[in-house]
Amino acid sequence: MTRFGVLGGSGTVGRVVVDRLAGAGPLRVGGRDAGRAAEVCASHPGAEPVRADLADAAGLAAFCAGCDVVVNCAGPSYRVLDRVARAALAAGAHYVDAAGDVVALDALADGPPARLADRAAVFSAGLMPGLSGLLPRVLAAAGPLARLDVYVGGAAAIGPLSAVDALLTRGPRFGTALAAWRGGAVVPNALRPLRSVALPGFRGRVHAWPFLSAEAAGLAAALGVDELRNHTVYVTEEIPRALAAAWADEEGPVDAHVPAVVAAADADLAATGPYYTLLFQAVPREHVPGRPRRLVLRTPDSYALSGVVAALTARALADGAIPPGAHLAADVLDPAATLAALRGDPLVTGVELT
Amino acid sequence: MTVPPTLESDLAAIWAELLDLDPASIAPDATFLRLGGDSVLAVRMSALVRRRLAVELALADVTVEISLAALTDLVRDRASGDGAGARALPVEIVRRPDPSAPFPLMPLQQGYFVGQHDGWELSYASAHFYGDLALSRMDADEAAETLADALHRLALHQPTLRARITPEGEQYVLPPDAPGAIPGPRVLDLRDAADAEIAAALAATRAEMSTSGPNPLTGPGVDVRLTLLPGGRGRLHTAMSLIAMDGWSATVLNRELLTLATDWNAVPAPLEVDFGDYVAAIERLRHTGAWQADRDWWHDRLDAFPPPPALPLLADPRDVAPDLMDTRDARLAADRWTALKRRCAEHDVTPSAAMLTAFAVVLARWAGHRAMLLNTLQLNRLPLHPDIHRTIGAFAATMLVPVDLDGAAAFSDLVRAQQRTFTEHAAHNLVTGVEVSRELARRRGTVRPVAPIVFQSTLGMDAAIGQRQATAAGPLGELDFGDFYHQLRTPQVALEARFWEMNDEMAVAFSLVGELFDPSEVDYAFAELVELIGALADGYGWDRVLPLPDAARPGPADGHGRDRALALPDAAYPGPAEGLRVGDEPRAEAAVAPGPPRDELEQRIAALWEDLLDAPVLDRAETFFALGGDSLLAVRAVARLAKETGRAVGVRRFLDVPTVAGLADAVREGTA
Repeated sequence: MTRFGVLGGSGTVGRVVVDRLAGAGPLRVGGRDAGRAAEVCASHPGAEPVRADLADAAGLAAFCAGCDVVVNCAGPSYRVLDRVARAALAAGAHYVDAAGDVVALDALADGPPARLADRAAVFSAGLMPGLSGLLPRVLAAAGPLARLDVYVGGAAAIGPLSAVDALLTRGPRFGTALAAWRGGAVVPNALRPLRSVALPGFRGRVHAWPFLSAEAAGLAAALGVDELRNHTVYVTEEIPRALAAAWADEEGPVDAHVPAVVAAADADLAATGPYYTLLFQAVPREHVPGRPRRLVLRTPDSYALSGVVAALTARALADGAIPPGAHLAADVLDPAATLAALRGDPLVTGVELT
Repeated sequence: MTVPPTLESDLAAIWAELLDLDPASIAPDATFLRLGGDSVLAVRMSALVRRRLAVELALADVTVEISLAALTDLVRDRASGDGAGARALPVEIVRRPDPSAPFPLMPLQQGYFVGQHDGWELSYASAHFYGDLALSRMDADEAAETLADALHRLALHQPTLRARITPEGEQYVLPPDAPGAIPGPRVLDLRDAADAEIAAALAATRAEMSTSGPNPLTGPGVDVRLTLLPGGRGRLHTAMSLIAMDGWSATVLNRELLTLATDWNAVPAPLEVDFGDYVAAIERLRHTGAWQADRDWWHDRLDAFPPPPALPLLADPRDVAPDLMDTRDARLAADRWTALKRRCAEHDVTPSAAMLTAFAVVLARWAGHRAMLLNTLQLNRLPLHPDIHRTIGAFAATMLVPVDLDGAAAFSDLVRAQQRTFTEHAAHNLVTGVEVSRELARRRGTVRPVAPIVFQSTLGMDAAIGQRQATAAGPLGELDFGDFYHQLRTPQVALEARFWEMNDEMAVAFSLVGELFDPSEVDYAFAELVELIGALADGYGWDRVLPLPDAARPGPADGHGRDRALALPDAAYPGPAEGLRVGDEPRAEAAVAPGPPRDELEQRIAALWEDLLDAPVLDRAETFFALGGDSLLAVRAVARLAKETGRAVGVRRFLDVPTVAGLADAVREGTA
C-alpha cells in the first residue's frame, strides 16, 4: 500500500489532506508541534504523528524516508521553495506541494535531482495556483477557445504567514497587474480594475483586479486562446488598498504591513462572511450548441479546498496517473476527473457547468 | 494652507517622474491608468504630493482612474480646508478651435434624443414646444419679408438655430452658408378667406405643428410660421425642439426675433461663446473633484428617496401611445400676482418655492401619501461666461427633489421647509437629475421613469433675462398675449405643472398624458391648485393647516392599505381606490434564464456591449443598465447592432427586456 506523508498536517490545509487521504494507505503526519500532529492523528486510526521542522534537514530526511508520496502543506512557500521536494525525491518519494509556484519549480530545475527520472514532483496543487489553471481546461475540452475570462476570489481570512506570502509574491515572475494575454503575448495595461461589478457566482457587487498571473499566462499559451483575462476578485477594496500601500513603501520591512493586510481580510469577512468562487467563462472559436461556456465552483473555505486538491494529486500519483518529472498540477491532473471528484466533496458547495 | 499657482504643472511633474514621461505630454484629462500607472504608483504619487505640496490625500481618493485635472482639483480642495461656502466653478469656458466640430449631447438632450427613438414609455416622435400668438394692426405686405429677415439675422447671431443632431447622438452647427442652414418662415395668406376656412386652416396648422415638431436630426430645431388674416390680423406660430433649445432659449428667441423684426438696423451684441463651448466646459467639469463630490452627495441619498406620487392611473403607461399632451391652464391677474410676490417676500420664500409646495400638497392629497419624489426642470445655467444667459441652446437640466410634507404644519412652514430642501439639493447641481435618475433606476432595477411627475417654474426668469417682453414688433404689429395657444410634448413625463410670467400675469398649467388619468380627477386637482394659489395671493392661505393623508409613503402595489385620494370627495370620485398607480412596477416580463451567452448572436451582442460599456458582459440575463449602460448608449447599441447585422430593433423593444438574451430575441423576432 502507498504510504503518504503529510507535512504541515495540523494546519488548515494539512488537516483536510489527512482527512481526504484517510483510508488510501498508511499516513505519516508531520508538524512542528508534535502534540497538534497527534491530535490530528487521533481521529484517523493508523496515522502516525511525527515532529518535523522544515529547517531541520536531517529531520526532514527522516520524515520522508519510507514514504511513497510526500505532501507538503507547510509554508510560507517563498521560504520552502524546492527544499522539501528535494528531500522527498532523495528519499525516493513522489512530491506534492499544495502551494509552490513557478518560482519553486524553477528552483528545482536548477540542478534537477536524478530521481525525477522515475519520480514526480507536482507544485501548485491548490486552489490558486492549481484549480485556477486546471478547471478552465474543462471548457476547452471540446475545441479551441477564442477567449477565456477568469475570476477567482471572495472573502477569506488571511493569517500573518499568508499575508507575508501575499506581500512577497510580487514581481514579473509571478505575474503582471492590469495585463491581458492577447494574440500569444502579454499585453501590459490592457485592462482596468472593475469596481462594483456584478459577476456570476459572486455575492452582490465585487471588485475585480486584472492580474495576469504566471499560471494564467501559461494556461493561455497551453490552450492557444486568442485572449485571456484573469482577475482576482475582492468583496471590498480593502485588500487591494492594503497591498498597494505596502508595495508603495519600498524601503520599509514587509512585516510592518502584515497587520494591515490581515485586518483588510477581516474587514472583507465581516462584509460577506467566508466564501470563495472560481468563475471561468469561455467564448469558443466555433459555436456548437450545448457546449458548456461557463464553469462556476464555490467553496466556503479556500484554504481547505486547496487541501482537497493536494490530496487528489497525491492519489493520482499513487495511482500512477502522473508521469515522472517536475510539473505544475494544472498540467498533469485530469480536468474532468478532478471536477467530478470535487463535485462529490463536502467542501464544494456548488458546481455549475453551463 | 495655500497651493502654488503652478499646481497642475507641479502635479504633472510628479506624474512624469513616476511614469517616466515628458511632463508636457500629460493632458489634463489623461488618467493615471492610461498613462501606465497602477495602484502602487498611485499611492506613491499621493506620498509625493504630501511631501512636495504638503497636502494630505485620503488613500481612497486617489484611484488609478484619476485624471490630472481631477487630481489638481482634489489637491486644491484639500488644501483649502473643508470646501465650505461658495465654490468657484473649477472649469473655464473657452472658444473651441473649430465651431463646426461635433460635440456631445447634454444629459437632458440625451433623454429627449432617446425619447425620439421611442426609447421610453410616454415617448413622442418629437419633443417640442408649440405656441401661437395673436397679432393685430399688421403691415401684411411687409410682415412676411420682415419675419424672414429677422429669422435670418437671428440664425447668424445664434448658432443653435443652425444646429443639427447626428443619428449617433452628437450635435454640430452648420456654417451659415451651408445649404438649408438658415431657417425660413412659412407664410399662409388667409387675408381673403372666410371664417370657416380660417378656423379649419388654423386648426390644421396647430394639429400639424403640435404633433410633428421640428426635428434637428433632419432640419432646423425651430419652425416659424406666419398666418395672415383679414383686417390686419394674424398669428405667429413657433415650434421649438426641446433637443435643440430649452425654455429659457424660447424666451430669448422670441424676444430677439421680435426685436430684429421691429428694427431693420438692430444688431444684437455679439456672443463671445456658443452652446458647444459650454458643453465642452461641462464635459471637463465631469473630470473634476467638485463634480465627483456632487455625485457622491446624491448617491449617498438615493436609497432614502421616496417613490413618485402614487396617482391613480387609468392605464399602464407602457400601453399608451400618446400623440399630444392634454393641458389645463389658468392665469393669476396682474394685481393678484403682484400681491402673491409681496406675500412670498414677507414670508421669506420665493414664489417658485411656494408654487412647488402648493403642487406637492395637491399631489399628496391626490396620491394619498405625503412623501414623494418630484422632478424639476432647471433652466439655470452655470455662470461660466457673462454671455451665457442670452445664448440659445439646450442648457436645461433636471433636478430631483424629495418632498416630505408635515401633516401638522401650516402652509407657510411647509414652504419654508421645502425651500430649504430645494436649496440644499440645488447646491449640488453640477450633477444633473438625468444622471441621478439613471443611477436611481439602476439601483431600483427599473427601466421606468423614476420621477414622471414634474415641476417647472420660470417665475423670476424674466427678471434674470433682463429686458421686458415687447408688445409690438414693427410690421408684425401688436402682440396679444391674452390670445396665446400652447402645447408641450416632453417624454418620460406623466404630469408636469408649469408656472411662468406673461405680461405681468402669472400663468399656471398642467401638461399631462391624458390617456393615463381620469379627467375629472385632473380637473379637481387643477382647481384645487388654483384655489391654493389664490388663497396665497389673498393672504389667508399661508396660516392654514391643510388636511393631508396620514401615510407618508404609498401602500404596497397590491392595493391593500392604500389611501383613497383625499382631495376628491367620495361622491365625485369615480375611480378605483385600489387600481394601478404611478410608480407601480410594470407587469413582469418572462424571466430570462441566466447563463453565459448561448449562441453566436448572443455572444456578438455581449461583445458589442463590452465595447460600448467598457465592462465585462458575462451573463445573458444581466441588464444593460446594471452593467453601466444608459439610454443614449442603448440607442447606440441598437444602431450599431443594426449596422453590424443588418437587423433593426426598436429602442423601446430593447428597453422592455434590456438583456443580452432579450436583445437577441428581439433581433430574431425582427427577422422571423
